[in-house]
Amino acid sequence: MSFLKKKGSCHEAPTVVNAGAKRVALVGNPNVGKSVLFNALTGAYVTVSNYPGTSVEVARGNATIHGEQFEIVDTPGMYSMLPITEEERVAREILLNERPYLVLHVLDARNLERMLPMTLQLIEAELPVVLVVNIMDEAKRMGLTIDIEQLSKNLGIPVLGAATAKKVGLPEIRAAIAGTTPSAKNHFNYSRQMESDIAQVAGLLKGDYLLSKKSLALLLLQGDDEVAALVGSVEGNSALEVQAGVKEKRFERRESFHLDLSMERKDIVRRILDGVFQAPEKRVVTFAERLSRWTVRPATGVPLLLIVLYFGLYKFVGEFGAGTLVDFLEGKVFEQHISPWSTQLIKGLIPWEIVQELFVGEYGIITLGLRYAVGIILPIVATFFLFFSILEDSGYFPRLALLVDRVFKTIGLTGRAVIPMVLGFGCDTMATMVTRTLETVRERVIATLLLALAIPCSAQLGVIIALLSKAPGALLVWSVCLLLIFLLVGLLAAKVLPGETPMFYMEIPPMRAPQLSNVFTKTYTRMQWYFMEILPLFILASVLLWLGKITNFFGVMVRGMSPVMAALGLPEETAVAFIFGFFRRDYGAAGLYDLQTKGLLNPRQLTVAAVTLTLFIPCVAQFLIMKKERGWQVACSIGVFVSVFAFGSGWLLNRVLLVTGIL
Amino acid sequence: MRCGFCGHEFPEEEGSVGCKNCPMSGGCKMVKCPRCNYENPPEPALVKGLKKLFSREK
Repeated sequence: MSFLKKKGSCHEAPTVVNAGAKRVALVGNPNVGKSVLFNALTGAYVTVSNYPGTSVEVARGNATIHGEQFEIVDTPGMYSMLPITEEERVAREILLNERPYLVLHVLDARNLERMLPMTLQLIEAELPVVLVVNIMDEAKRMGLTIDIEQLSKNLGIPVLGAATAKKVGLPEIRAAIAGTTPSAKNHFNYSRQMESDIAQVAGLLKGDYLLSKKSLALLLLQGDDEVAALVGSVEGNSALEVQAGVKEKRFERRESFHLDLSMERKDIVRRILDGVFQAPEKRVVTFAERLSRWTVRPATGVPLLLIVLYFGLYKFVGEFGAGTLVDFLEGKVFEQHISPWSTQLIKGLIPWEIVQELFVGEYGIITLGLRYAVGIILPIVATFFLFFSILEDSGYFPRLALLVDRVFKTIGLTGRAVIPMVLGFGCDTMATMVTRTLETVRERVIATLLLALAIPCSAQLGVIIALLSKAPGALLVWSVCLLLIFLLVGLLAAKVLPGETPMFYMEIPPMRAPQLSNVFTKTYTRMQWYFMEILPLFILASVLLWLGKITNFFGVMVRGMSPVMAALGLPEETAVAFIFGFFRRDYGAAGLYDLQTKGLLNPRQLTVAAVTLTLFIPCVAQFLIMKKERGWQVACSIGVFVSVFAFGSGWLLNRVLLVTGIL
Repeated sequence: MRCGFCGHEFPEEEGSVGCKNCPMSGGCKMVKCPRCNYENPPEPALVKGLKKLFSREK
């Protein structure tokens, strides 16, 4: 609360490096390009630290402009001088406590009218403001015209147009920082009644403050407790008089003050924008905006989602990745070249058959571990992550969150849970950790359960799509089963676990054409991460399986599981895929691929095995994360439930398919 | 960097890089968005190096 203390008595917040540098604060709503501007001004060397006494991080960096040193502070997003969130509180504290030499208010040209009220408040507070109207390129594309010069005259402060993401306007901003003699004394008049109220409260303030008395009076009238406490301490004996004056005015206005002030500020903004801002009579609705609307409305959003899944998952990941690419890499490169060549080499180098088996045997490191990782999993995750990155970069995911919000509410979740669910298709382990960001414990437990049960990871999904697409109807049966189970278990979990479903709202970023460089960079990074993670584990799994084979433990396990396989209507050899699945879900799926290639499964058995394996117990890593995030009790309960439920569902599906003869 | 989910722009250093709790490989190096916690892949070192090289040449 020290931010509004008397001039000369405030403490300075920690500075970065250059103590003598003039401080420039970047302020504005979230998502207006402040951070892009911050990076452009400061370069790579910045410090990010929690603002004292808070968990809010603030980035600071230095910039040398025209030979002069400046300290640039990237403040958290704020909507108004009257803070609601901790971020806004910190942003206001920086503005007022750290005495910036210059305040760069960055706003979005497309939302000028909505964001200008904050500019008015900054000017009203007599802060040294320069306005940066950012994202001018997008505004122009939408047919909006903004007369920057006129806006500057109307506001009485320097105003600059920019498109910082495209590096447009940066020299002008730098010049403004170095060359501006900041002062903001322009006054905007409210209605006579409002001005009278403000004047009466302001007239009671006798102390010395960092911000204008008009601004202080407005904050007091809006019920700002921090300002009230400060005024109380500064005014001393007159504090009671101020308090009574504010109370009287607030009582006269009752609830309407906020609304009246907001409406009057809007009127002022409209007057300022008169002749400055022009939108086309019939506003050009871009294709991206139209597409954005289609994706969130259920009537169009669901068909669009199905189209995306059909072409993205089925055709691209399933048919191309898990079909064409795997056939080439696994079928040709490994089976015809690498495996025979390495077998010959190892047998020539190592005389002992048992050791030969470790490298090139049935479960050998090269013939199984490496073949699975490179020949089967790699092409599938590569195509999946490419598809995933395209969707991600287009801005589709937040729209998906809005689309499924209503359905998710019935299962105790909100659209926010789309984040772990979507990440779960990449890796369920990572996604389980992300569930900690959901608002309530109830949501976290439900999301953890659904991830463990019904969300297959990318490689598993790709292999299953590729295998099932070869049997007509099998993929449809698998998809319907998974969807029904997801909803049914979610619904039951929501009933069993008490609690309310929180509200979900989010500001969605604009939809845009995916940028190739972004898509390839993200795909490459994800593939690298995934491959580096699975390769050692696949090799370890091969070693363990080899050990199991030479000790005959593996055979005992397969035979031990044979009654379960029989109950599911599956051949005994299918147990191998389930044992592989204990290590990792994708390893199990690759095992299923081998069984199918050997012609051991008919379409019904393949579908039953695929459903059971998808639902099957989470891999070791996911289990450990569940334990870490939710504790032993919840993790074990989920593990037991998922295992029993997976085999139960497989058994039931087998019965249904046998009776109906669908497959 | 720009969050792939909510579009929030933030410096890579601001995201919680990696996760020490992960039993898989000591962290996946993903960068968490400070606003929505979506996990974003960081820019590969190779790309960063190239960018730095080109920006120096300018």
